[in-house]
Amino acid sequence: MTSRPAFRRFAFGFGTAFAVLYVVALAKKLALFTVYPSLGVVLWGTHFSGDVVDPALGFLAPAMYWYGWTGTAALGALVVGLLAVVIPERWARRLWRGWLWVVPAAAMLGCVYLTLPWFSLNP
Amino acid sequence: MPTVLVIIHGLVAVALLGAITHQTLSTWAPASPRPGSFFGRFRTVPSPAFTNAIIVLYAITATLGAIVYLYFRVDIRPAMEQANRWELLGFFDLKEHFIAIGLALLPAYFVCWRPPPGEVSTRTRTALTSLLAFIVWWSFLIGHVMNNIRGFGE
Repeated sequence: MTSRPAFRRFAFGFGTAFAVLYVVALAKKLALFTVYPSLGVVLWGTHFSGDVVDPALGFLAPAMYWYGWTGTAALGALVVGLLAVVIPERWARRLWRGWLWVVPAAAMLGCVYLTLPWFSLNP
Repeated sequence: MPTVLVIIHGLVAVALLGAITHQTLSTWAPASPRPGSFFGRFRTVPSPAFTNAIIVLYAITATLGAIVYLYFRVDIRPAMEQANRWELLGFFDLKEHFIAIGLALLPAYFVCWRPPPGEVSTRTRTALTSLLAFIVWWSFLIGHVMNNIRGFGE
């Protein structure tokens, strides 16, 4: 089953596209949905605490975007993966297989860069 | 409930850590047929046989982590913010990002360990496995430190 070229192309396309799209979602704050765990509420799209409660009480309704960023990237990667299935095999063979680990590694560095502001918050 | 979940999460993560470390080391430095040392015997494992277990353990660990994360956001993170532990929260955020990227790589990792001959190079397979091993080790250590600082059940 796993040796089928279509599944292989989907898996490679999905994995690399997810890594890129995750960084984009993180950088642009493109969450497919926002979770408010203390309220038990899930809203489509990116919302900030001030959108659902008074800004002064924002700390009472912390928003979570990780699930939404993952959802955004997964949805986009699914499309890319399906497109990878339909492209001709000879095109797929031209792609360097190393992108499979280079792109996610670069995406991880991108995440590090986008997380750097946390480290400058120390008093 | 969160305490039970975080303990199970930790136990599954230990199993995942062991499996992926075995596979990564045996990939980087295959052992001789008659290993003499502990390190040599540690690498004497059939690497492909670990693949399915690693995928299942990764998926379970990530799912449990995603559930526990809800409690973390409400009960733990505010206290960390008040204590100005921003660098730890940054490391924890990185853990979440890395886990998501690793989760999406699992299908490709599966394919890499079961390719038709000549389809995927050993270098690509080794690099992908090492990347996942890094993600697992990073996540385990940061999660462990975070739990030590402010575990559940208070």
